Amino acid sequence: MSLLAAIRKLWHSVAPRTHGDVEEEFRSTLDAYQEDLIRQGLPEEEARRKARIDLGQPAAQNEIYRAAIGLRLFDELGGDLRYGLRALRRNPGFAAVAVLSLALGIGATTAMFSLIYAVLLHPFPYAGADRIMNPHFILAQHPDVFQWFTLSEAQLDDLRLAAPVDSVLGFTNGHLEITNDGLPEDISGVYLTENAETFLGVRPLFGRMIEPFDAGHPVVVLNYRFWQRRFGGDPHVIGRTLEMDHAPYMIVGVMPRRFAFNDIAGVGDVYLPASLMRAVANGPAPSYLPWIKLRPHVTVAAANGALEPIVREIMKIHSVASLAWHLGLQPIIVPYQQDLGRTLALLLAGVVLLLIIGCANCSILLLARGRTRQHELAIRTAIGASRWRIVRQLLVEALVISCTGAVLGVAASYWLARLPLLLSPDSFPAESVIRINASVLAFSVALALLCGILFGLAPALRLSRNDPARALPGRQAGVVAAPARRRWSVLIAAQVALTLLLMATAGTAIRGFLRLTQIPLGYDPANVMQLGISLHVDNPAEWSRLQSREARAAYIEQIREKIASVPRVSTVAVGVDATPPGADVQSSFIVDGSGDGEPPQARVMLVGQRYFAALRIPLLQGRVWSTDENSSGDFIAVVNRAFATRYLSSSNALGRQLRIPALPFQNRFTASSAQSTAWRQIIGVVGDARNDGIGRPVVPAIYLPYTTLMRQYVEFFVRTQGDPLTYLHSIRAAVASVASDQQISNGAFTLNEAIEHDAQYSRQRLFSILFGVFSAMALGLALVGIFSVVAYSVAQRTTEFGVRLALGAPRTKVLWVATRIALVSAAAGIVIGLAFDSFLGAVLAHWMQSAFAAGSLFAAAALLALSALLACLLPARHAIGVPPAEALRYE
Amino acid sequence: MTKPVELPQGTLEMLILKAVSLGPLHGYGILLRIQQISGERLEILQGSFYTAIYRLESRGWIKGEWSVSENNRRARFYSLTAAGTRQLKAETAKWIDMAAVVASILDKKADEI
Repeated sequence: MSLLAAIRKLWHSVAPRTHGDVEEEFRSTLDAYQEDLIRQGLPEEEARRKARIDLGQPAAQNEIYRAAIGLRLFDELGGDLRYGLRALRRNPGFAAVAVLSLALGIGATTAMFSLIYAVLLHPFPYAGADRIMNPHFILAQHPDVFQWFTLSEAQLDDLRLAAPVDSVLGFTNGHLEITNDGLPEDISGVYLTENAETFLGVRPLFGRMIEPFDAGHPVVVLNYRFWQRRFGGDPHVIGRTLEMDHAPYMIVGVMPRRFAFNDIAGVGDVYLPASLMRAVANGPAPSYLPWIKLRPHVTVAAANGALEPIVREIMKIHSVASLAWHLGLQPIIVPYQQDLGRTLALLLAGVVLLLIIGCANCSILLLARGRTRQHELAIRTAIGASRWRIVRQLLVEALVISCTGAVLGVAASYWLARLPLLLSPDSFPAESVIRINASVLAFSVALALLCGILFGLAPALRLSRNDPARALPGRQAGVVAAPARRRWSVLIAAQVALTLLLMATAGTAIRGFLRLTQIPLGYDPANVMQLGISLHVDNPAEWSRLQSREARAAYIEQIREKIASVPRVSTVAVGVDATPPGADVQSSFIVDGSGDGEPPQARVMLVGQRYFAALRIPLLQGRVWSTDENSSGDFIAVVNRAFATRYLSSSNALGRQLRIPALPFQNRFTASSAQSTAWRQIIGVVGDARNDGIGRPVVPAIYLPYTTLMRQYVEFFVRTQGDPLTYLHSIRAAVASVASDQQISNGAFTLNEAIEHDAQYSRQRLFSILFGVFSAMALGLALVGIFSVVAYSVAQRTTEFGVRLALGAPRTKVLWVATRIALVSAAAGIVIGLAFDSFLGAVLAHWMQSAFAAGSLFAAAALLALSALLACLLPARHAIGVPPAEALRYE
Repeated sequence: MTKPVELPQGTLEMLILKAVSLGPLHGYGILLRIQQISGERLEILQGSFYTAIYRLESRGWIKGEWSVSENNRRARFYSLTAAGTRQLKAETAKWIDMAAVVASILDKKADEI
């Protein structure tokens, strides 16, 4: 049954017949009665009259019908609604301001709610996403450091047998290259164990997901974005062949837009059966990151307890075995909750303030307008309307405003909700999709009703309490009733105080952001680009050529030289995971002469000797290693100043020894130098470059030649003259001249872009832009409130001002009388706001992670005071412009 | 002619159900039949009569269908639904019960108590 038919059926059960039915039946009764009367001997004219008198009007019958079946309240509310709409149409200025004030608040609040819904309540498209766990080791020494671990296929099976486990997905990322047409494109593939379809439970857009029978078959499922990019969204792609690494794969499915598996290891462009990984890699058995889906109603603690012995057994051979650790299962949502919860809470608080200010504004407008409606309401009371009836009428009018505002607001929220994602794209889960759904709509409807009652009730109660005897004769009473003024004052003061709070918060956010942009970085990001290359580990022939450390180093150096030979490229340096201001894991190390106890921690950066020049990190002491030392990789190290101060404070840093026992990173693609964990002499100290996020202090860092531990990928830092991205084409050509099939990974970016993607930087930018917008809106609303109060009262008191002027009152005095209440309440609001802000300052500073500045508070207060004064004076100048004679004629 | 009787609240609906239970009738016919059965002793107000009809219909106790009346006029004929039959039975039993109790109280003489 269609929705329309369902509604019709429901309506039919409430009101089984139409207007026509009622009227026709009534007419037939009327006729029958009339004929009876004629038969009884009445003349026809008389009979018709009597029938009409006895039965009543046919037109009135529908009302009787609707009242009988209980639709009376409905009808009356409908009447109120129509009346309310008419009243709004008569006052378009008032209506527009009121609706807009609410639309802003409701739109912003709905947007924030849909964002929270999408990001925190429902971010993943997977079936049973709340039961999917990400297992970690938690080291006893560093309970805050979560360490992932990988498992072999047999070990995944061990886990699958455990009682609390529903299923286990293993996945691993790999680089693939599209080889069948012109441009080699490097893409990211995710190999999934073949239970992916049931584990993830996401319905593909076309075709199917990896299924158990795919084991060993070269099939591929496409990511939505990749499908759009590569195939232009062609729906007939299923069954076609995609050639990757010179082997054909059959496309069997396309995943929907929401599916962006996964956030941990990187979103895949294509998804492949895990068995293919086994086939490609001739080396040791591949290992997978596990996701564990628990059975329903199993608590995380119980699952931890049950799985720990199994994982312990598995890990006996792992390097972590010697350390004290325990297993921690973490729901996949948790990292986002930790990172985003506070940000979103703060933004939500901001929009709720905006909404309250909007509501206060509507209350003020309704109260101000109420004065002009007192006459009308008095007439209604006088002819018998109860107080409840009038309150209801006024509330319905308020609801008309709030619902209109909500409609506009929800429409606007569709775009507003995307704003944070645009401003800070890296902070949100890739899979969260913001859309207006049933929960969001329900939320905004509830919000609209709540707002309507919130801002409508006070004016309704106030206006319904008037005495017709007083209100009716004296239309031009001249002086506004005192209680209305009191309410205005309270509302204006509250509005101003809240606005100040928002403005001060915005000021703090903007200051914090400016501080971040001016922070000394310790390196020069301008005109430096980072681009990465991956070696062809999956091509056995090529891999055997590059497997040795020396061959790989030579290959990388060759590419580096070619890039450096591009005209106007000034410096090219190699680095691995060394992009500032990034934060990466720390390693423990041992420095000579240090006692036992917990080994100290430092960030280990694997770089080429030109890294410091390319990034313009100053050398403070000693020297940087030479080209020869760089190719050997052993026995030398350079540290940063933070390292020297923290760990080597007592003596000269140069010549001290350190070693990093944890350096060899076990991976079948890594190749380390012979003495990579041996003692190294510190030969130089460089300046502190940000390495723990842009807003945080620099942590101690050790720089080692990258050749001491080579992976399957490296990055190049290219300093150019002018915008580095314009060099991409010639750099590609330079790389291709070394090896024609060596592709540059997607996503070359400048170091300035790296800063923009820094978590704190993007969060601060988000805060400053959004709170800036919020506070501008709030300021606008507050000013409109003040303006309309003064404008209304001036309009109503024209006579009074005329009399005052006629009697010789000075103009400044009249101006003061006209603006006094608004000015005093605004001033009170500012004072309250200041007090409130200094009280809240500490809390806010903690939440925003930047100091709450008194300076921005006073600047905001001054701006607010000035604009409030203007908003008062602008409408008040009409008061002194009244010609006394004309004003008196009103009497 | 005997004295007209005023109906207690709510009994009109029961009478309409009874009238309709004897066979489908249009609105005016129901009115006439009730008056006829009561021996013209019930004066039914037209306004409250239709209110009662509408309410019974919206509760699903009677249902109306358009048809042609005895003097060839289109009229809405009401008949009892299954729910209406049950309702009539229940109301009748309740009414008889109540009438008996009230009558027995009113019949008592002082010495019988």
